[in-house]
Amino acid sequence: MLERFLTGASTYSQSIDHLIFLIAALVGFWLVVAEGFLFWLIFRFRHREGQPSQYITGEEKHLKRWITIPHMLVIACDVLIIVGAVKVWMNVKQTMPPAEQTVRVYAQQWAWSFQDAGPDGMLDTGDDIRTVGELHVKVNTTYHFELVSRDVVHSFCVPSFRLKQDAVPGRTIAGWFRATRPGTYDIQCTQMCGIGHSVMAGRVIVETPEQHARWVQAAGSPYTAQAANPASHTHASLDLSTAPGAEFAEVRP
Amino acid sequence: MTRPRASSWILPTLVLGLALSGCQLGTASVAIRGKELFQTCVPCHGPAGAGRHEVGAPGIAGMSDWYIQQELRKFVSGARGTNFDDLEGMHMQPMALSLASDDDLKAVSQYVSSLPQPRRIATIHGDAQAGQALYATCIACHGVNGQGNEAMKAPRLAGVKDWYLVGTLKKFKSGVRGSNPADPEDVMMHSMTATLADDKAIQDVVAYIETLKP
Repeated sequence: MLERFLTGASTYSQSIDHLIFLIAALVGFWLVVAEGFLFWLIFRFRHREGQPSQYITGEEKHLKRWITIPHMLVIACDVLIIVGAVKVWMNVKQTMPPAEQTVRVYAQQWAWSFQDAGPDGMLDTGDDIRTVGELHVKVNTTYHFELVSRDVVHSFCVPSFRLKQDAVPGRTIAGWFRATRPGTYDIQCTQMCGIGHSVMAGRVIVETPEQHARWVQAAGSPYTAQAANPASHTHASLDLSTAPGAEFAEVRP
Repeated sequence: MTRPRASSWILPTLVLGLALSGCQLGTASVAIRGKELFQTCVPCHGPAGAGRHEVGAPGIAGMSDWYIQQELRKFVSGARGTNFDDLEGMHMQPMALSLASDDDLKAVSQYVSSLPQPRRIATIHGDAQAGQALYATCIACHGVNGQGNEAMKAPRLAGVKDWYLVGTLKKFKSGVRGSNPADPEDVMMHSMTATLADDKAIQDVVAYIETLKP
């Protein structure tokens, strides 16, 4: 249903949509019932000719039932929501299906950069492909990502994948996704991270295997290889040589 | 005969006034717009545009209008600030993208160039005498006194903070800047820095540039 407003492009986007719908439906139902009942009560016990509006304290047993029974029913709905949420949480965050490709995601003020494991599927080897602002992935392929921050707290969010994960400086956070639909989707930062937070955007490009192979080949061209050489930095605080993956020097033979 | 009523001229005047208020910016408003836009730069470059070493933001106050525009356009197009290892460039690139129009880009450049040049504080120790010999390579574009040359698209160097010059020369030398064909000036600088053999040479030439009067 949410897909009508925002494309779902990962294997778990539907289960998250269903969960959101379940919560909205249950909570919405009780909102309508409770508000309807409230207004009915106001109307029912209003001031009338020869009788003032009534104040009911609700201490008698037959009156208290109007509280306790809905209360139990709401709790039953809560349990339903918790069961649904835990199921989705386990599936999306707690279990990682085996990786077919690995990519490292770097967050920094105010850009996203990526290190694709390349043809050998291993990070920090000579055939890694490093990009800024664009993450290229193959459709119907399970990716594990390692999320790191180069400075402050950020949050890696791909709305179309229904993916959101905080990046915490000093920690490497693992996650996964499997894109189901070729196309270009937005990446945004969803954790306030400084003056440029609102312009901290990137794109994930989901490609068919042929398109992806072409991209991998082009990424090995001399310009990219040269650009990917690690730098000697002037600022100790921003020194990339302390970041994971900085130790390799050459891209592709 | 009745006197013309006040309302007969109030309404047209109001309409005209409102219409004119929406008109294109004059010179004064460009300066105001530039100052407004500059607020986005303040967190890193400082209220006077003097730069902040700790975040790698250079002093920009008083740099030439044409140079600021040129570099902002490079950031907007992605010719600059899109290298994996250029962390400071990646700070700047999205910020440049927040400029909504070319008029805004010009307005903020004009404002920044109108600010007085910041004071210099020496943070590096090089041999200015050895640097003078090395500087011979730079003269063709940047000028004898490091004053810059718009025709060569070479910015002024005299008065630029030493830590920024050192950091930028290192980026040029390693190819963090100057590897993207979309930025021909940087590509040229990448090859020019081959004449600087090591970190000491970089420090020396910067020490010499620091002796030049802006």
